[in-house]
Amino acid sequence: MSGGAEVVVGAVAYTANVVPIWEGIKEYFAGSPAPMDFVLFSNYERQVDALVAGHIDIAWNTNVAWVRASRRTDGAARPLAMRDTDLAFQTFMIARAGAGIDGLESCKGRRVALGSRDSGQARILPLHFLQREGIEASDVELVIFDSDVGKHGDTGRSDLDALRAVLDDQADVAAVGGNTWQALLAAGDETVAALTVAWESEPYNHCNFTAMPSLSDERAEAWVSHLLDMDWDNPDHRPILEMEGLREWKRPELSGYDSLIEAMAAQGIADGW
Amino acid sequence: MSLDLTLRLIEAVNATPAGSTTLVDVDGPADVAIANRWTAATGNSLLVVHPHAVEIMRGRMVDPIGALPENRRPGYRLWVYTNFHCNLACDYCCVSSSPRAARRVISVEETAALVRDAADTGVRELYITGGEPFMLLDLDERLHAATSALPTTVLTNGMLWQGERLRRLDALPRDRLTLQVSLDSATPELHDRHRGAGSFDRALAGVRLALDLGFRVRVAATLGHDAGNSESELGSLFDGLGLDDDQRVVRRVARQGEANAGLTVTRASLVPEVCVTADGVWWHPVAATDPSMMVADAWSPLDAAVEAIRDEYRRHRLRSDILASTFPCA
Ligand code: SF4
Repeated sequence: MSGGAEVVVGAVAYTANVVPIWEGIKEYFAGSPAPMDFVLFSNYERQVDALVAGHIDIAWNTNVAWVRASRRTDGAARPLAMRDTDLAFQTFMIARAGAGIDGLESCKGRRVALGSRDSGQARILPLHFLQREGIEASDVELVIFDSDVGKHGDTGRSDLDALRAVLDDQADVAAVGGNTWQALLAAGDETVAALTVAWESEPYNHCNFTAMPSLSDERAEAWVSHLLDMDWDNPDHRPILEMEGLREWKRPELSGYDSLIEAMAAQGIADGW
Repeated sequence: MSLDLTLRLIEAVNATPAGSTTLVDVDGPADVAIANRWTAATGNSLLVVHPHAVEIMRGRMVDPIGALPENRRPGYRLWVYTNFHCNLACDYCCVSSSPRAARRVISVEETAALVRDAADTGVRELYITGGEPFMLLDLDERLHAATSALPTTVLTNGMLWQGERLRRLDALPRDRLTLQVSLDSATPELHDRHRGAGSFDRALAGVRLALDLGFRVRVAATLGHDAGNSESELGSLFDGLGLDDDQRVVRRVARQGEANAGLTVTRASLVPEVCVTADGVWWHPVAATDPSMMVADAWSPLDAAVEAIRDEYRRHRLRSDILASTFPCA
C-alpha cells in the first residue's frame, strides 16, 4: 500500500515526454482534494505487477494492460477514467490506392503488415477482426514488426514501420491505430492520396486509469472528479491535454473492451510475456 | 514525396522531448508547406526553415512577443528619424549627428504617408527623432501630421526654440505631443563635457520654456562612462522641475555611432523597436546607422517590415532559450 496522503499513479515511460506530462498532471492536482504523485515504469507488465501488488494506487494502462490487470484480479481492478479518444479508438487497414484491396475479405492471399505483438490496435485486434471474417493467419502472408515490445504500441513505431512496408512494396496492407492515421491526415488530404483506407474497425476502448479496491471509492472519486475538471480552453491545462492526446477526460464505458477480451482469450495471450 | 515526409515528421517528433527541437529534411517550398500544416494541426511548432531542413519544436511555442509588456512589443512604437543633422556634435551621439552630417531628411509628405501607414499597421505611438528634428523649420508640419494620426513624442536638445521656430512650436497641439529633452546631468560640467560648452544652460532653459508653454515634457539623460553616481543628483533636479516618474528617462550610452565605449547592442540581444530613416528600416533607433542593424532599405510596405522584425525577434528568443537550456559545462 502506498499509504501516504498522495494518490500514487503509475505510468509507462514510452517517450521522454511522459515526464513533462506527468509533472504537469501532478502540478494540476497539487492543492486539490486528492493530490497525487507518479511512478514511471519501463513497460506495462511491470506496471500491472506493481498495481496488483499494491505498490501504486492507480495505473494508466493500455487496453491490453487493463485486460491483464482485470484477469489477474478476477475483475476486482476497476477503470476510473479515460480520454475521450480512448472511447472511440479504431484500427485502420491502409493499402496503396489502386491496389485492389477493399474490405478485409480482399486481404486474403496478400501481405498484411502488423505491429508489435502486445499492441492492441496494430496486432491483436487486427488479427481478431480478420479471424472474425473467417480469415486465418494462414490465409494471408503476415509481415510482422515487433518493435518496442512492452510499450503496447504506445510509441507508434510499429505502425510507422508497417506503413513504410506498404510504401516500399514489402506489404500490401498495414494495420495502424487511429492516432497514427490521424497524424498522417494532419499534413493535408493530398499527403495521403497515395493511400486508401481498405477497412476500418468499429470503435473500441483504448487506455484507462485502473484502480485496485484498496483505493477507497471516496478517494477515487475525489481524484476522478478533479481530473474531469481539466479544461481544453484553459491555457494551463491545454499543453498537457495536447501532449496526452485528448480534449476531455471521460468516465469509462466498459463494453468497448469486449472485442479485446475476446481476442486475447482466443489468441491465448498470457497475462505477462 | 509528401507521404514519406509526413512519416518522417511523425517519427522525428515522436522521438523528441517536449520543448526540444528536431531537424527534418525537406526538399523545396511544397515540403515546407506540408511541415507547416502538419505542425499546426498536431500542436507542434515549426521554428526555422533551413535550406534543406525544417526545425520543429515538440509542443506549442509560447510566443515570445506575447510575453513582452504590450508597449515593448515590436510594432507598438514607431521611431522616425526626420533628419540627421544637428546644431550639436555630441561625442557619444549614437548616429554621429553634427552640423556637417548628411541631412537625410524625410519630407513632410512622406512623413504624413508613413504615420498614416503606421496607424493602419497597428502602431500605437510615434517617436520623432534625429539629428535635431527642430533643425527642420517645417518640422511642425510633420508633427501636425503625426499627432493627428497617433500620440507623438519628439526628441530634442531643446535649444532652438526662438523666433519662427518658437512661434511654430507654440501652435502645436498640447494633448497629443510630448517634448523629450536631453539633459545628461544636474550641473553643467558633465553635460557640457560631452555636448559642448553652454549647452546645459540652454537645454535647461528649453525644458522650462516647454513646461511654461504647457507642453508635456519628458527629460532624458544619457550616462557615459564618466557619469559616476550622478543619478541621484539628476533625481533632485527632476524633482525640482516637478517631473513625475514617467517624465524621466535615464539610460547608459550604447556603443554606436560616435560612442566608442558603452553597451554593445546586437539584433540577437536587443528587443527591437521599429525605426524608420530616409535610408530604410532599422532594428532599433539606438543603432540607426549601423549596417548590421538595417532591416530593409525602404519603409514601405511598413506592415511587412514590422512582421519581419517580429519574426526575427521570435527566432532570436527561441534560439537563446534553447541555447540556454543546453549550455555545456565542459
Ligand atoms: S546626441 Fe542628439 S543633440 Fe547630440 S549630436 Fe546627436 S542628435 Fe545632436
